[in-house]
Amino acid sequence: MSSSRKSRAAGLPAPSTTLVLDNGADTIKAGFVTGDTTDGPRVIPNYLARDRHRKTYVGSELEKCRDFGELAFRRPVEKGFVVSWDAQKEIWDREFFDDKAPQRCDPSETRLVLAEQPNGLPALQTHCDQMVFEEFGFASYYRGIGPAFNAYQDIQAIFQTPRSPDTPVDVPAEVILLIDSGYSHTTVTPIVQGRPLHQAIRRLDVGGRLMTNYLTRLLSVRHFDMRNETFIANEMKEAVCYVSLDFKGDLEKTWKGTRGERREDYLTGAGIAKDYVLPDSHTTFHGVVREYEPGGDSSRARKAAVATEDVLTLRNERFVVPELLFSPSDIGMRQPGLADLVMQSLSALPIGLWPGLLANIVVVGGNARLSNFIQRLQMELLERVPDECVVRVARPEDPVVSTWLGAAKFAKHEHVERLAVTKQEYDEHGAGWVARKFAAGLGVDA
Amino acid sequence: MNNFGVIEIASTTTKNTPGWAYVPDTGPALPAALQPTNRKRAARNQPALSLSDLSAREENKIRKDLEALDRDNHRDANIAIPPRPAGSKAQNKHTPNVRKILQSQKTFANHLDDYQAMLALAESNPAAAAAMNAAQAKPSTPTAATPKSASPAPAAPSAAGASKRSAAAAKRAAAKEKQEQEKKKARPTPKPGPEPEAEAEPPRPQEQDDVEMTDANNPDAQPAPTPNTEAALQSYPRESLILPAYAKPPPQAHPGDADPLLASYIPPFPTDDELRALMTAPPLSYLEARATWGEEERRYPVRVFCAVCGYWGRVKCMKCGTRVCALECLEAHKEECVTRYGL
Repeated sequence: MSSSRKSRAAGLPAPSTTLVLDNGADTIKAGFVTGDTTDGPRVIPNYLARDRHRKTYVGSELEKCRDFGELAFRRPVEKGFVVSWDAQKEIWDREFFDDKAPQRCDPSETRLVLAEQPNGLPALQTHCDQMVFEEFGFASYYRGIGPAFNAYQDIQAIFQTPRSPDTPVDVPAEVILLIDSGYSHTTVTPIVQGRPLHQAIRRLDVGGRLMTNYLTRLLSVRHFDMRNETFIANEMKEAVCYVSLDFKGDLEKTWKGTRGERREDYLTGAGIAKDYVLPDSHTTFHGVVREYEPGGDSSRARKAAVATEDVLTLRNERFVVPELLFSPSDIGMRQPGLADLVMQSLSALPIGLWPGLLANIVVVGGNARLSNFIQRLQMELLERVPDECVVRVARPEDPVVSTWLGAAKFAKHEHVERLAVTKQEYDEHGAGWVARKFAAGLGVDA
Repeated sequence: MNNFGVIEIASTTTKNTPGWAYVPDTGPALPAALQPTNRKRAARNQPALSLSDLSAREENKIRKDLEALDRDNHRDANIAIPPRPAGSKAQNKHTPNVRKILQSQKTFANHLDDYQAMLALAESNPAAAAAMNAAQAKPSTPTAATPKSASPAPAAPSAAGASKRSAAAAKRAAAKEKQEQEKKKARPTPKPGPEPEAEAEPPRPQEQDDVEMTDANNPDAQPAPTPNTEAALQSYPRESLILPAYAKPPPQAHPGDADPLLASYIPPFPTDDELRALMTAPPLSYLEARATWGEEERRYPVRVFCAVCGYWGRVKCMKCGTRVCALECLEAHKEECVTRYGL
């Protein structure tokens, strides 16, 4: 450590600007930290999309796209890790390095703080380091585990813990159990003093993509073929899906009944059924959720004939899809549900840490926006843990950018100086040394 | 077509039976293994099936379904990178590494296979791997072993799982070091820095080794932390540098505090050494971190749903075994029931 400090002191001073990137499978969260000022993250689609007129949109160019029908995607990030670097480079170039880029920066005067998923493959991590230094030429760089960055936020504010205003905020937070439910998968990471406890990190391969595809399949079986309309199905999922607090009861309410029978709850919708108006790609480009009209098919058919709109009635699709997070075996996946995943992670740790972790469970990532998500998780955990344990589950105001906000706080924290690697060090010691340094992390001493 | 009422069962264990059998192809098999030696009553020595075992056909179908659910596009889409708009940066020359990365057409699955192959190589030829990086693989081993020996592990199966995972992690760390060494050798200008390992590894205090030795020497001398001795020593107002005790004064005393019925049990808090070991343990590999079914999940049958409307799957189609909820959905299903074998 001492020699690296010396070489840094001898070389250039640490760059004043930091580009903080949370390079997710679906969206990039990007923004700059300069001194004490943070300009909030921009959420950029992290894919190349091609519409039915064979026009291709790269990253944030998707804003110009009007017609989302039959959109096809090419994603540089697979399973949370950057795999296809030619596509990723194109997106980064257009967003950050071109002359007209919306968030232009000069890498040779910028530090990069990049969030990655835990348990990456070493080959892919090395590729990432090589691209950052050899192709983009950042002056200084740190690649850290995304969930761990969340510890640099004011966690107790998320829980709304009652406290006096003069209480100092622990940065990084002492103990949290972070659940990151993103587009590719869901991970559980216990974090102590900003250091992830690697032996207890567990992953469930259920993420936003699987749920969207599952919704697409259900709709294709029951209504009409949506298999090429992933984007529209994804919008629909975000608009109508919710986590059921009483799965059996809700399923009962949405059943039509035996042959000839039409149950009361089915006819009235029981507050669960919703109508979803699909975009027609001429006048409307986004779907609209409507309250279910109990009038039955006849009145809606008459209306539809006039308005020529495609209406789907969604019943158990609304809660069966997010149910995959809590019981993946419903589609034959041999993995435990989210609550059992937490218990498996905890069982790798000494029991003395359980009370602290259970009382500080934070859920981030796009799926955390599903309503009732945290209530359901809390309910299921309470069934599994000892009676004395307090279980608190919370999500930040915007769970999607939470990791980015934590990483931005980290970029101002003194830890970043200890962890970041400069280009000179990379040129001198090579990619293997950098990978080892990042893997070793902060160490233990505070 | 009727398959004569025979249902194939895929179980995790295989048994040599006379005649022929479907055998999961897990690798190059010895020819001797295909010829069973004991042909007597082989059929009834089959292991018992549990509720979660499925027939091979069902399993195949589920696997295909899951693969389809994991795709980005329904159809294969080859989206080329569009030409750059005017005003973009001039293309500069790439370094060899970058050119290799940019031209790589590998998918994540390819990378994962490569990684597994590398691990298998390290396993099949451990002597070479160990000799290559004896000095570097050493520090990761005690940290990986510490949590299972020192922590009060809650349940036996989880402890076994943890030890398996940590052993695998140590093995993998060795393989990783090896890969990095090879990479270093391949680099044009290998500049071994002044003990880079010493810099990268966090300073490891000496007393950690001492603690582990005492634990290993007399595992039976201190069986379980009894509440009146250990817990008193390790309860919350304690000396810990990593997680300091609550600094504020405790809440006001209550007359019921001494009541044995109301007293709450506080589990022994991990010592600083245990915490240190946990915080510096090496990361698990991608496959080790994937959660799998435990005993609890295996014991119960999975929920089944109607393939048509999504209600509980209470009835099976007599032709293909698909679950439906009632007659109305059964009729809807029968219209397109496909009974081709092996679908």
